Amino acid sequence: MNIKRPIPITDLDSVDWWSAVSRHEFVCARCSDCNVWRWPARAICGACGSMTWEWQELTGNGTIASWIVNRHGFGGAFPLPSTVVLVRLAEQDDLLLPGGWAGSADGVDLSVGLSVVVGFEDIESEGGDSDQAVLSWGPRHD
Amino acid sequence: MSGTHPFRDRTAIAGIGRTDYSKNSGVSTLTLALRAIRAALDDAGLATSDVDGVACHRVGDSVQATIVAQSLGIKDIRFHLDLFGGGSQSAWTVGLAAQAVAAGVADCIVCWRSINARSGFRMGGTGRAAPDSIEFQYQSPYWFATPPQQFAMYGRAYMDKYGVTSEDLGRVAISQREFATLNPRAMMQAPLSMDDYLESRMIVEPFRLFDCCLETDAAVAVVITSTERARTLRQRPVLVSSAACGGGHTLYSNGRDDLSTSGAAQLAPRLFDAAEMSPSDIDVAELYDAFTPLVLLQLEDYGFAAKGEGAALVAAGSTSLGGSLPVNTHGGHLSEGYVHGLNHLAEAVDQLRGDAGPRQTVGAEVALVTGQPGYVAGTSSALILRADK
Repeated sequence: MNIKRPIPITDLDSVDWWSAVSRHEFVCARCSDCNVWRWPARAICGACGSMTWEWQELTGNGTIASWIVNRHGFGGAFPLPSTVVLVRLAEQDDLLLPGGWAGSADGVDLSVGLSVVVGFEDIESEGGDSDQAVLSWGPRHD
Repeated sequence: MSGTHPFRDRTAIAGIGRTDYSKNSGVSTLTLALRAIRAALDDAGLATSDVDGVACHRVGDSVQATIVAQSLGIKDIRFHLDLFGGGSQSAWTVGLAAQAVAAGVADCIVCWRSINARSGFRMGGTGRAAPDSIEFQYQSPYWFATPPQQFAMYGRAYMDKYGVTSEDLGRVAISQREFATLNPRAMMQAPLSMDDYLESRMIVEPFRLFDCCLETDAAVAVVITSTERARTLRQRPVLVSSAACGGGHTLYSNGRDDLSTSGAAQLAPRLFDAAEMSPSDIDVAELYDAFTPLVLLQLEDYGFAAKGEGAALVAAGSTSLGGSLPVNTHGGHLSEGYVHGLNHLAEAVDQLRGDAGPRQTVGAEVALVTGQPGYVAGTSSALILRADK
């Protein structure tokens, strides 16, 4: 059975990031004054207070900070098992992004610190008219 | 004494009240709240007409505080708090109410948590509407939605960093179940063995069924008033020695690179300083336990053990009945029931009054009561309470 992923409900601060993901572009907000990356995008820099920032492209490299394997459906339509990863981006230690795992559904191929690279999965909506993509991480072979 | 914190011991918990704990209360969250409040006022020897403030926390799953106030017949609400949030806020709801009493804003405030968490809004259910959080969009597409999943994500990072095993988590569940077998209110009273624990089904790796709390229909309420007034009432007052909130990281916020520590580590020094106490003064600890690793994490972050040593404290029996620091003496959320932190507070009051029966910590004079330590929520909170002399 092909279970549809929930489509993210975006907001005015996030819609540009999601649009980039849907173009298979991986970007992050970055302070123009102190160069600290921040995700999710916010109007102010939590490090220096600057209101000036821009989207910049990320390498797409990271490491596994943690992961879970769903074994219970929690009343929703989950494929079981299914694995969700939390990835620490190479650019900055405090950038932690969740995403899907393109490897084994039961996560046996995962370990904390594993090198990974970003990928994208186009979401199929119930009506078939979605143009949204989401993150799908996979192992990185240097 | 000089340097005494201006808030310390100025206010007291004068009464506690609980509804039945069940899987299906059959009544509204308003009725549950009113039953718990009525019981707490009876416990204190107060009338509804004595109440001039109301305070609760909720996540869109319970009745508004103002409707409870109106139902109680309060004509002029002097203090009102309707805090958005789950267990991370449980101690702060009470802490803010106590601060309002200490500041003279109100004289008698009822605080409660009321939820039909099993028959109504299930925290662990994904069928419900998305929570009111702008961060939820970043996880929901990955079938990553519920608290067990969020805490499993943190739990694995903590376990990996310190070599914490499933058996270590199991010992938390087993210790708390031993207390629950002595608690007639507890939802789970059958003894739990390590085999039972290890053989329980996986919910979301690394969590098994018995790593997770029990969604429960219940309400718990407490009455906060001045220490002076509490001393004229029916029960031995339990003084609020300090209250603190702290932390600052949500699930994805920047500035955090270590998932194996929590907001509790940030608030703990201020909490103890304000009470003019240290961890060694704590006789009994009711630690927020939505999931087993949170107990180990808090033993460390509140300073009872070095980082990574919480599991050894549990394995040594220190947190069990008769140990040096009994933890979750009612069975906690894992075995008594899940009332979002307020049942921990009520148990602490029972312990400090000497009313805990067979699970009583002998000579308990000081208790630590904590909220969810700040994973996910972006904040945590805690109280230090002591028996009146």
